Amino acid sequence: MSLLSLAANLPAASPDAAPQEWVMLTLVWIALPLLAGFSVALWPRLGRYLALFIALLSLSYGVGQWLQPLPQTLQLLDNFGVLLQIDDLSVQFIWLNSLVLAAVVIYCWPSSKRAFFYTQMIILHGSINAVFICADFISLYVALEVIGIAAFLLIAYPRSNRAIWVSLRYLFVSNTAMLFYLVGVILVYQAHGSFAFSGLLGAPVEATALIFLGLLTKAGVFISGLWLPLTYAEADPPVSAMLSGVVGKAGVFPLVRCALMVEEVAPILLSLSLGTVLLGVTYAILEQDARRLLAVSSISQVGFVLVAPAAAGFYALSHGLAKAALFLAAGNLPSRDLVKLRSQPLSPQLWSVLALGSLSISGFPLLSGFGAKAMTLKQLSGWAEIAMTVAAVGTAIAFAKFLFLPVQWGRADPQTQPQTQPQTQPQTETPAAPAQLQPGFWGAMVVLIGGLFAANGLHLELYTVNDLTKALVIIAGGWLAYGLVFRHLQVALPRVVEEFENLIGVMSLVLVGLFWLAIQQNLGPVL
Amino acid sequence: MFALALPMSVLAALMLATILFGFFGIIFKQNLMMKIIAMDVMSTGVIAYYVLVAARTGWATPIVSGVPPGAYADPVPQAVILTAIVIGFSIQALMLVGVMKLARDNPTLESREIEKSSTP
Repeated sequence: MSLLSLAANLPAASPDAAPQEWVMLTLVWIALPLLAGFSVALWPRLGRYLALFIALLSLSYGVGQWLQPLPQTLQLLDNFGVLLQIDDLSVQFIWLNSLVLAAVVIYCWPSSKRAFFYTQMIILHGSINAVFICADFISLYVALEVIGIAAFLLIAYPRSNRAIWVSLRYLFVSNTAMLFYLVGVILVYQAHGSFAFSGLLGAPVEATALIFLGLLTKAGVFISGLWLPLTYAEADPPVSAMLSGVVGKAGVFPLVRCALMVEEVAPILLSLSLGTVLLGVTYAILEQDARRLLAVSSISQVGFVLVAPAAAGFYALSHGLAKAALFLAAGNLPSRDLVKLRSQPLSPQLWSVLALGSLSISGFPLLSGFGAKAMTLKQLSGWAEIAMTVAAVGTAIAFAKFLFLPVQWGRADPQTQPQTQPQTQPQTETPAAPAQLQPGFWGAMVVLIGGLFAANGLHLELYTVNDLTKALVIIAGGWLAYGLVFRHLQVALPRVVEEFENLIGVMSLVLVGLFWLAIQQNLGPVL
Repeated sequence: MFALALPMSVLAALMLATILFGFFGIIFKQNLMMKIIAMDVMSTGVIAYYVLVAARTGWATPIVSGVPPGAYADPVPQAVILTAIVIGFSIQALMLVGVMKLARDNPTLESREIEKSSTP
């Protein structure tokens, strides 16, 4: 009953201190996934049921909080203790987390995933939730490390040599970054005697640089995110959906929250997000591998989330849902190679899912990607707005690759496909996969694509003639550029920057860059 | 005691140097096992730095007793780093299990070779 005693010891001093029942509910909501995760080890058959239950619980908690007066803050123990805060931003991230978990569990329902898989899923979900409501650096550290471990186990789940190497590489990069983060955290503590996010202001500049290095690496921003293409592309499709949909967001969220709390941080994030958007878009336009394209596009979309902290929640929600759907759909493509796919017609069902996801990320009206993009661009001005608009056109170009894949309309029955394809494509490495999609796939798509339509309804005020025209011009421009130029362009970017040692080495460069950016902003004294 | 005689700033510099040595070890050591040990060196530096920050107010252990309070060490960074030690240790254990699995097909554990054979 430590929960009860924790809640009983609360100081009621803070002006917007939360009511007791809210406190209990929040603590139970944080603790329950961890409890459920370990219970799965005892009752392996309950795995998927418990996972789905936890997802629904989180969703109802998120909706319940949305109806409450926000923000609510909660200080556990003392001013050295745990600071929790839930606001509009957290609510949208919590929705995303629960919807993606629900979709992934439904997707894996018919498969023979073992209890261990669901244990990790539930624990991952719980620790990501903890990130979304915490407001101090130490709770964040613990949650991020648990996320790292759970993600490692999920990536390594197939236990092939490649899976183990990719997961080891992921854990190595993330743990090294978190060691730098820890040094930054103690500098904040030394300056203020507390671990709260607001302590970035007035702490030494080094603290900001070190903490941001950790978070940027976790979130996959700019060149710190170069570990991400290989990891996302090689993991199992449901795991990639989780990684790209929510695990990356666990690094983004604290950055956004810091930017909202400490104004001086926002300009640092602005320049970083412009860098990451342009880097990711360039990679995505030139990429010919379907799953790597989705992965590098995550690098650029993270920039859209970070560039306007006020619109971050909604953008993250739209992107996470669309990207999870795309990763699940891409896992069912007959080939990963987009060039091969152009001579291998897709089934209309699979194409429609790919198309809806791509349209949402490109910012097409009626899907929540439109509102998110309009809201983000509205927050910007001057050259930042121009750069982001260019990046939006680039996104439309990259996702046109999915939209304009050939589709086998009319011939619905899948038996004809395997017979015709080997004749036209004798050298394909994978014999044309059956176009039969599992029922779990459709359940997942109902959740994710339905979520995209529903989230669109949250911000109907964004549908103005001006914004609609802008979005359509951006998309049409992207498609035109794709048809005229980029469809025929084949440039292979060198992958040497993605080698393990370079991923670690790049941290020193990012650290220097961050230090320089932080000095510009007069955040605090230099040590 | 020798360590006590050194000023705080020198100690801090030594600990930050440990962190850097570990960091460069991760980059320059070829063997995957050595890379993991280098990461451990790095985390040792971080832990030592926390202990140093905790000691900036004094050395005594903060225990409530009849003895009048002296200059005692800050317990908060110590408590926090204890958590980090446990986490670091479990991550290390997981990594070693991964390395054990990889060692079956790559007995030399050279990271470049493993990377070459397991990236598409």
